Amino acid sequence: MVLACGLSACGGSPAPDSLPVTKTVQLKVAYFPGFHTSALVDGAGYALYIFAPDNREAVTCTATCALTWPPLTVPAGTRPQLGPGVKASLVGSDAGPGRSRVVTYNGWPLYTYTDDVQPATATGQAIDLNGGAWYLIGPDGSPFKSAGQSNAGASGGTP
Amino acid sequence: MTTAGGAQDQAQRSRLVSRRTLLVGGAAALAVGAAGTEIGNLATSGSTVTSSSTPPDVDLMEEHGVLKRVLLIYQEALRRLDGQQPPPVDAIHDGALIIHDFIEGFHEPLEEGYVFPRLRSAGQLTGTIDTLLLQHARGRERTQIILAGATAQGMATSSTRQQVAGAMTAFIAMYEPHEAREDTVVFPAFRALLTTEQLDGMAATFADLQRRQFGPAAFAAMVRHVATIEQSLGIYELDQFTPPAVAP
Repeated sequence: MVLACGLSACGGSPAPDSLPVTKTVQLKVAYFPGFHTSALVDGAGYALYIFAPDNREAVTCTATCALTWPPLTVPAGTRPQLGPGVKASLVGSDAGPGRSRVVTYNGWPLYTYTDDVQPATATGQAIDLNGGAWYLIGPDGSPFKSAGQSNAGASGGTP
Repeated sequence: MTTAGGAQDQAQRSRLVSRRTLLVGGAAALAVGAAGTEIGNLATSGSTVTSSSTPPDVDLMEEHGVLKRVLLIYQEALRRLDGQQPPPVDAIHDGALIIHDFIEGFHEPLEEGYVFPRLRSAGQLTGTIDTLLLQHARGRERTQIILAGATAQGMATSSTRQQVAGAMTAFIAMYEPHEAREDTVVFPAFRALLTTEQLDGMAATFADLQRRQFGPAAFAAMVRHVATIEQSLGIYELDQFTPPAVAP
């Protein structure tokens, strides 16, 4: 993965450690056997995706796009609770809808996929929709670009 | 591969690159084929078809009409493939682009963002909604296969033709019951949950989202576009589908 810009030059302001943690929003790591990779999931275990056109700069999936890909948001002035394997130094936030902030990881805004009707699935992996490609993101902050197998399931924790 | 085929591939690649704007920017050019036809004229004059006065469920059903017409395009393409005729590459690809941009990129998000959550929060049709959402995901996977394979170069190979044909077959088989169930069960249940004021507000929201994504008169442009593809396949004239009178 060739990153378009360094972290300091991109969107996704790091979340200062001093911010209070909101316990309703969590970032965790789960293993997706179908893709042979670990990737970020939300507190309920739903896969989190990055949107290639965001380019680590801004939240560009808005309006209709955000109906299918709801961003992972935290109230302004808070930060998500982090599970094992999630690197706090990569967590930040971008301006989101209303007064919320969209959680970022390594500068990438994070989204869920409405069509993942079960936690621990990744039906949106590597599809091109709403103007660009969608990928899972690993705990190291790199987008995972393999198409893998359809509806590959995940298991909690790292392998 | 002929030179013409190479040029066709190049044109198709160009369309892929600009697929996001195809339905807006290309609408005028694509309308040429349908200009002067009954449906083309109706669509043109009906540029306010998608307005804040169109109830949201009716709006969604009209969009299902576009989906249904692409299913008919896929069916004709499959008939030709089965008959060992040259594959109608452009028609397949353009039909899939309509699905990708308009159905999967606009219509389904409206369902996913407004219709399904309202029903789910009311505790209605929850199992059906899960199935419909999964079918959206499966349909999107098939569309990716069709778009990637429906090129002159791709369709020249047997394996890609089979992949595209399989994806179209699965897409048709899934979406016919899918849209029928939505029209007859899901949308009526959704409508029953909303007040007149809520329906009006949602209609305005739908119209605004469509305008922001595709520009004005988007639905009319979509209908003209699908009519042009039908004409290219010779399946546009409605009366050709009327069966002969039953013999006495």
